[in-house]
Amino acid sequence: MIPNKFEYIRPNTLQEALSILSAYREDAKVLAGGQSLLSLMKLRLASPKYLIDLSGVPELNYIREESGRGNSARIAIGALTTYAQIKESAVLQAKSPLLVQTTHLIGDVQVRNRGTLGGSLAHADPAGDMPAAILALGAEIKAVGPKGARWIKAEDFFVTAFTTALSFDEIVAEVRVPVLKGYKTAYMKNAPRPSDFAIVGVAVCLQPDGGRTCQNITIGITGVTDKAYRAVGVEESLRGKQLDPKIIEQAASRVTDGVEVNGNIHASKEFRSYLASIWVKRAIQAAMSGA
Amino acid sequence: MLKLEEILVTRNWVGKPVRRKEDTRFVMGVATYVDDLDIDCHHVAFLRSPYAHARILKIDTSKAEALPGVIAVITGQEIARQTKPVVPRAFNKPAVQYVMAVNKVRYVGEPVVAVVAENQYLAADALDLIEVEYEALKPVVTIEDALNPKSPLIFEEAGSNVLLHDKMVHGNIEEIYKEADLVIKEHFKVHRYSSTPLEPWAIIVKYERANDSFVVWSNDQQHGRSIVNVCHTLGISTDKLRFIVPDSGGGFGVKLALWPYIVTLALLSKKANKPIKWIQTRTEHLLGGTHAPDADVEIDLALKKDGRILGLCIKDIQNDGSFVHTTGIYGLIKFATMSGCYNIKATSAELVSVVTNKGPTVQNRGVGKPTMIFVLERMVDLAAKKLGLDPAEMRFRNFIQPGQMPHTTPSGEVYESGDYPECLRKGLRHLGYDEFRKRQKDLRSKGRYIGVGISAGVEPGTSNLGYYYTSRGVPEYMGNAEGAIVGVDYDGNINVLLGSVDSGQGHATTTSQVVADMLAIHPDRVSMTNQLDSIISPFLGHSGVYSNKFNDVDLGAVIMATKKVRDKMLRIAAHMLGVDRSKLKLKDGTIYSSENGAKAVSFKEIASVAYKRILLLPEGEEPGLKEIAYYKTPFAKMPSRENFNIQITHSNSVHIAAVEVDVESGSIRLDRYIIVHDCGNQIHPEIVRGMAIGSTVHGIGASLYENFVYNEDGQLLASTFMDYLKPLSVGLPNFEVVHMESPCPYSLLGTKSAGEGGAITSLTALANAVEDALSPFGVKVTSLPLAPEKVVKAIRETKEI
Ligand SMILES: Cc1cc2nc3c(=O)[nH]c(=O)nc-3n(C[C@H](O)[C@H](O)[C@H](O)COP(=O)(O)OP(=O)(O)OC[C@H]3O[C@@H](n4cnc5c(N)ncnc54)[C@H](O)[C@@H]3O)c2cc1C
Repeated sequence: MIPNKFEYIRPNTLQEALSILSAYREDAKVLAGGQSLLSLMKLRLASPKYLIDLSGVPELNYIREESGRGNSARIAIGALTTYAQIKESAVLQAKSPLLVQTTHLIGDVQVRNRGTLGGSLAHADPAGDMPAAILALGAEIKAVGPKGARWIKAEDFFVTAFTTALSFDEIVAEVRVPVLKGYKTAYMKNAPRPSDFAIVGVAVCLQPDGGRTCQNITIGITGVTDKAYRAVGVEESLRGKQLDPKIIEQAASRVTDGVEVNGNIHASKEFRSYLASIWVKRAIQAAMSGA
Repeated sequence: MLKLEEILVTRNWVGKPVRRKEDTRFVMGVATYVDDLDIDCHHVAFLRSPYAHARILKIDTSKAEALPGVIAVITGQEIARQTKPVVPRAFNKPAVQYVMAVNKVRYVGEPVVAVVAENQYLAADALDLIEVEYEALKPVVTIEDALNPKSPLIFEEAGSNVLLHDKMVHGNIEEIYKEADLVIKEHFKVHRYSSTPLEPWAIIVKYERANDSFVVWSNDQQHGRSIVNVCHTLGISTDKLRFIVPDSGGGFGVKLALWPYIVTLALLSKKANKPIKWIQTRTEHLLGGTHAPDADVEIDLALKKDGRILGLCIKDIQNDGSFVHTTGIYGLIKFATMSGCYNIKATSAELVSVVTNKGPTVQNRGVGKPTMIFVLERMVDLAAKKLGLDPAEMRFRNFIQPGQMPHTTPSGEVYESGDYPECLRKGLRHLGYDEFRKRQKDLRSKGRYIGVGISAGVEPGTSNLGYYYTSRGVPEYMGNAEGAIVGVDYDGNINVLLGSVDSGQGHATTTSQVVADMLAIHPDRVSMTNQLDSIISPFLGHSGVYSNKFNDVDLGAVIMATKKVRDKMLRIAAHMLGVDRSKLKLKDGTIYSSENGAKAVSFKEIASVAYKRILLLPEGEEPGLKEIAYYKTPFAKMPSRENFNIQITHSNSVHIAAVEVDVESGSIRLDRYIIVHDCGNQIHPEIVRGMAIGSTVHGIGASLYENFVYNEDGQLLASTFMDYLKPLSVGLPNFEVVHMESPCPYSLLGTKSAGEGGAITSLTALANAVEDALSPFGVKVTSLPLAPEKVVKAIRETKEI
């Protein structure tokens, strides 16, 4: 790795990290798992002058249930929690399994051991898996900055490729996801090889009414356009409907409604749109047949 | 030729899967690669062309030179003033290319300026300060572009972008086509891919001011030739270059092409008067660390109604990119497998090599033979379909029979041994061919599409290096050979030095097995220094690790040197014991009298006489116990257009792939993969197994994922491992490897080649399997890779992948 020159700083508290960040402003970047940032620095596509390593800030690493009544019960996840920790979390598995399901399809063991939830969201890779999942979950993201903390809704968080609603002096501290009761979830992705970034990734939270009718459904899509998004058209077409194969297929064809689809050497624009509709269909079916 | 019984005095080690000697070192991370060498160096970084084709109008390096820590800067222009152009091997047209870009850039990634700095970070920083003015020229990217007379010329002086165009006919092709009942014709396209070793190119060059000479450390694969190339290009005599090859992390052919960078580093180290280091980055490697060329092949088969193939004609066009040194060789080497495993009486081959603004090409695992077997084995399936024959039956009707061995192909290649029909029978039995067909039918009715693909390939080894010059005439190299030094030390242990350096093949292990059985000792007492040093090691122009030559000429040299040492020890022992030599035998590191076991001397005692108590040596015997030997394969023919053998040994295999295609998404899942492999006698069956699987995975990668995609501007769109997709262990099946052993009568140990085979035979196994799976949709496979998008399109519209 031959990056540009940088200075490495390892604060011990979030407060300290924030004040360093405020001091160096756009010249600084925080380092979490490094699974995206270091690749960019290696290619000299990112050249921060100051690298603020968050690994010395233990207060950002936790998964805990926060009480609340009915659907207001939440699980709070610290930004530095790794994919591997999420994958092994009994609380998440029992109460809000979508993130767990998603981690199974992210990268390989090394990437899951290093990569963090906060890093994945802040990086906002247009093909990142977690952004799709937190959109489907309607999660909230806690950003802390010099002026204190604020909560950003998942749907407001992703602006465009590699750009979020965070300001340069803010750090993601926590992500809150709902405890799901009566929901079925699934994450599926199409990728050239098992550990690759998604050509299309689909996260589904489905609330059936006990039978085959869809009471509510939220769908997060990644890999298709410049950012992860909710497939609102598909959701609308399914709410209140019988989940029959025909209806699902018709609804799935709306997955790219209103989005500018990306093309690259792994899938052209047309093929990606086509795959998106197939994978939406499959992910809904997987959610239906899953727990 | 020596007989096996004369070579091996015990049979304890050869043929057994002994524990590999080299692994501990590698697993512990204590191997010595170029980058591990403890040499105080400056570092070089290369400014590379962002254009595929452009004129260089102006280069301003002043800001870079002013950067503190920058030691020296050199442009292609300056290099050209001090060097000779790169010498082409296979063609005669003028095409002047230097080791760096001069006046013009010819591919994205071509080195334009080199910067030496105190460390690699500063060197990279300095690149941003160099200003180059280019005038973009229209790029010539595809084969169609190159053949279009309106396209600009890449080498103006050549007058054409076609640098080699030759046609060779062997056998009475016209008669054969008259005899034929039908002729089938097809056009195939094979894409660009490469083997991308774990350790990319690595070089250190040190200038020795005292005698105006250079020392090179590099993971070069064919140093015997590189010494010649580097010295010629620098215009220095070969005594001015010492070449050292330390451990090397994989080669697969692409490290045959790194020598131009040695030239640049040599000039820089002289300029800076300091050792200079360059460790290629992955992106540099993918851009210009050489590819296998993409190819267009038209082929037709002349057939009898009963399925017999009488003859074939190919028109082979290779997109050789932009490296004149190797342009043309991918066509010529196809003669090694042109008629595959079949009794084919006549062949006609029109060979065309074009230059384009794609990256350089060089020998990559299998070299052209993967393409040859791909088009041939595809044609066999297509012919079977046309004639209503089962693809297995079609092959049985054409195989060269074991009783016909040795078999000479129309162009003169000699297949020495093998039982091709049995190889396929074994594979089919292993798969359960008939049950598979039943299951296939069942699943189809449920909307699932599985398919089986058979591919039979000849996998040659040991190049007869004269073949490069078939079209050009004057051969600079001929035949093949290697050198070895075998020494017995004070303690009676054995050390071997070889002219080639292991890059993953297990040289130390297999060598120790052979030497142990030649000297009746434990392999633990045999060590091998995995380093070549041109002032110490034996070497020839042929030296290196390539073309599967190890088992043949490398071990040949080891055997000959060991035999010399053994003969000398026997002479000394006879003298020491007062026993006639013919009565002496070897056992457990001693030589004893077969008539009186008490009369024995150990190797250590013999060594003590050879090295220290030399007055006790027999009359006329030289002191010392170290012998050098060179072994040349006795079966290489003289280069000729009419009758020549490109390679010396010919392994063979049958690959059977069972796949399932998701017809909705186009993705292909490998269900089973069977390799029935015959490489003659095996020295180490587990190493052979590893090679068979490893090379097959290279082919699977090429068939499914790997693709150097260029856009119409000549930009490479796969310049990191995010986009150039290697196969991963996840997603691969458990390989089922079945060995057969048909000893080779032309190598000392009856061995043949084992390193490239899977990369040759596997491409078609997958292609045939996918076509079989998709037969209800009438899809034909005429190109690679089998990308999901192409698969879906073929099912729905084009009917052709
Ligand atoms: C081989 C490989 C395979 C991969 N495969 C996948 C895959 O299949 N799916 C997938 O989704 N991803 C994949 N990734 C990317 C991976 O998920 C990254 O880990 C993730 O995108 C970034 O998380 P990180 O903790 O490593 O962040 P870093 O790389 O450390 O940082 C990424 C960016 O986020 C910023 N950042 C990090 N933490 C915070 C924070 N708390 N607050 C504000 N900003 C922050 C950094 O400044 C930087 O700009 C892969 C990566 C690799 C190397």
